[in-house]
Amino acid sequence: MTLPRWTREPLVHFLIAGAFVYAFFAWIGGTAVDPSSRVIDVDRDTQAQLALQYERTMGRAPTDAELDAQIEQFVRDEVLYREALRLGLDQGDAIVRRRLVSKMDMTAGAAAEIAEPDDATLQAFLDENKERYQTALDTSFDQLYFADQASAQAAIDQAATASDWQGLGEAISLPASMENASQRDIRAQFGEEFGAKLAALDTGDAWQGPLRSGFGWHIVRLRERASTDTGFDGLRQQLSNDWRSAQVATRKERAFELLREAYRIEIDR
Amino acid sequence: MRNWTSFALAGISALALSACDSLTPVDEAQSGDGEGTIELAEFPDRPYWGDTHLHTDNSVDAFGFGVRLGPEEALQFARGDTVTATTGAEAKLARPLDFLVIADHSDGLGATRRLYDAPRFLIQDETLLRWHDMMHESPEQSQLAIAELITAAANNTLPEAMRDPEANKENTRDIWTAHLDTLDRYNKPGEFTALAGFEWTLMPDGNNLHRVVMFRDGSDRTSQVVPFPGLSTTAEQLWDYMAAYSESTGGKALAIPHNSNLSNGLMFEMTMPDGSPMTAEYAAKRAAAEPVVEVTQIKGDSETHPFLSPNDEMAGFGVTGWELGNLPLTAKTTDDMLAGSYVREALKRGLSLEEQMGVNPYAFGMIGSTDSHTSLATGDEDNFWGKHTGNEYNNAERAPAAQNLGTRVGRFGWNYLAGGYAAAWARGNTRAEIFDAFQRREVYATTGPRMSVRVFGGFGFEDADWDGDWVRKGYTEGVPMGGELTSGDEAPRFMISALKDPDGANLDRVQIVKGYLDSEGEMQEQVYDVVWSDMENRAISGGKVPAVGDTVDRENATYTNDIGAPELRSVWTDPDYQAGQRAFYYVRVLEIPTPRWSLFDAVRFGFTLSEDAMADAVAQERAYTSPIWLKPSA
Repeated sequence: MTLPRWTREPLVHFLIAGAFVYAFFAWIGGTAVDPSSRVIDVDRDTQAQLALQYERTMGRAPTDAELDAQIEQFVRDEVLYREALRLGLDQGDAIVRRRLVSKMDMTAGAAAEIAEPDDATLQAFLDENKERYQTALDTSFDQLYFADQASAQAAIDQAATASDWQGLGEAISLPASMENASQRDIRAQFGEEFGAKLAALDTGDAWQGPLRSGFGWHIVRLRERASTDTGFDGLRQQLSNDWRSAQVATRKERAFELLREAYRIEIDR
Repeated sequence: MRNWTSFALAGISALALSACDSLTPVDEAQSGDGEGTIELAEFPDRPYWGDTHLHTDNSVDAFGFGVRLGPEEALQFARGDTVTATTGAEAKLARPLDFLVIADHSDGLGATRRLYDAPRFLIQDETLLRWHDMMHESPEQSQLAIAELITAAANNTLPEAMRDPEANKENTRDIWTAHLDTLDRYNKPGEFTALAGFEWTLMPDGNNLHRVVMFRDGSDRTSQVVPFPGLSTTAEQLWDYMAAYSESTGGKALAIPHNSNLSNGLMFEMTMPDGSPMTAEYAAKRAAAEPVVEVTQIKGDSETHPFLSPNDEMAGFGVTGWELGNLPLTAKTTDDMLAGSYVREALKRGLSLEEQMGVNPYAFGMIGSTDSHTSLATGDEDNFWGKHTGNEYNNAERAPAAQNLGTRVGRFGWNYLAGGYAAAWARGNTRAEIFDAFQRREVYATTGPRMSVRVFGGFGFEDADWDGDWVRKGYTEGVPMGGELTSGDEAPRFMISALKDPDGANLDRVQIVKGYLDSEGEMQEQVYDVVWSDMENRAISGGKVPAVGDTVDRENATYTNDIGAPELRSVWTDPDYQAGQRAFYYVRVLEIPTPRWSLFDAVRFGFTLSEDAMADAVAQERAYTSPIWLKPSA
């Protein structure tokens, strides 16, 4: 791959990253520093940030002496950092390169991470990804178990008229009835195949089946199936999580595309 | 260390903190235990399935082995989402899990990730610098670096910077806080439980004394502590840390010993760690802190060993390779060490110690888990994602490969098990319910399949109980697994029900393992076949139940459920009971033979397994319940 020579200059990479970081800090209200300057200005904002960081770590505000120590550490890091840049230690160092790349990625994604989506945004996200959130169906049903298909088939008519239908099936440690069970719960107890077949049945008073499961055969009476729409409120947290991770990915990609357009890329084949 | 960590963190922490800070605080119904928001069953009505031992990119070794998925992807995967694994393939569980404990190593939490990210010129320590370079060179070199790191940890020769818990505390707190926040966001009472935890990694001379610590609480409490480091500490200090956590926050924590099979006899000693006689105080502390052990996982099964249980024809599952030595294979295991390394023997030792001291340090329940270092909690044979990223699903070489840790002799890829799962009998899927099930030992282990196993102990059960509400009877007139009975003149009876995994293999048999002290006070064990499939045709001959058969097609890695039974149940009375006996009883359920992951791999990639590997490519998966103890009246 051949890129214009200047695009391979670590300094260029660094400047682009720097611009991004600057823009980001300007946006969140922090201060960006010109790394080539010999002035280290530990202004009030910086001190407040150091104090805040300390507080988050220790659960209390720093004493004056502790803040001084934090400032000392900050200055030390800053001096070494700038001298390292002057010495060109960042150049030809794959690690620095990689860190900057990942920092660029993080910077692009960070805006999405801190954005607080409003309900309209989440609703739109829900509409776009309906299938993902569709599992919530509450099902109430009765079932009788039989080891073989023929016995199950034969029991359908009997069950319709029997007063004690529970006595008709064969013994197994599965619930004879489930009330308002989720698909997830049904599949956990009866298996995937049974869960899928049950989901395809219509509700009604009649016994249906037999349906096969990993255990054998079942006849079922599907009394009720309610959409348990926990509603938007019940989903909000999950939507917010999922929306956020989708946004981070999209933003990273979009940021890259934007930068990428400025390059002409030649690949020798 | 100070230099590179502060440098590496200076940039990202500002971003990370500002990001976390502005997230919506998670409301109590999400972060809490679900009490008041979830309808609980009257009695535990189904087992909830989970993994309590999963590593992500915050673990020193997992990151070094190459994993780039973090806690968030781990949670998504466990709840059933499709995620892209580190090596690029899409991964998904056939069935979601109900709960997850992410247990990243407390020692150097996030340290390899930081070492990897650190600018080269700021690393002063020669060893760290070498590891840093190896990690960047290639995946193979990275694995070697981590193997060195583990060996160094085992030999207590880690670079100073990595051993100093104070220096690491600040970084640890950042990562821990962010992690707890993620857990709260994913915890969804009634649907999916995300529990906080960490792994404590004490390993004197390479002998594995690791514990997983798991918390009952949300971040309001767990954020008041940081994970307790394992290196250069003692188990007693860990228990003190846990007690202090409860004391100061009102929360609860428990510890789960694991891989006792790699402890060279140190996990379950008859003495104090220094060899002096065990004190009642020590035993009580241990019993209070460690109600459950992890008996089966990827790095082998610790139930028992054929040397310890020569009359148990089903002993020896998941032992091959792991019985050779300690974790890094720096010290061989000799026969005299085995008794302190396996769980059944420990349960017996517990009886003996209790007889002497009045306290049983080893009265624990049993669970399985994965110990996966891929962020992917897979326990199914046909969906095994490997111990670490170096042997994920799409690595065709992983089964025959010599193992890449320590001395690299004696252990092979196919020695890894697909992992186990933990089942918890609970009234609902919440942090409180799941944790409390562990605390009262109403939990059991499986080697992966999700069979439902129930056992109640009591004195009044009879066969006719199956016709009624036997679960109610079990709870009201007896005790469930994990419980205790007072022994008297009458022999105890057990109501046992084992239902196959609805999507898995049929069952071969149900056994009771009894451990007891005989009239001389000697420790004894006995395995009873209680009920098995096709009993009419499989009559006991020569004291043994004939083998169930084998339907596995070795060419295609398939089997059929033409043999075995969907459910086995029985009320069993101990025929050898002696009045006033001190004993424990646990249930072992065996499936019919099925292909192991190594056979699935061989078929999928089209290669032939070695003779040894082939002999081990089909196995009877199993479940172990927590015991019920029988104690003489005071």
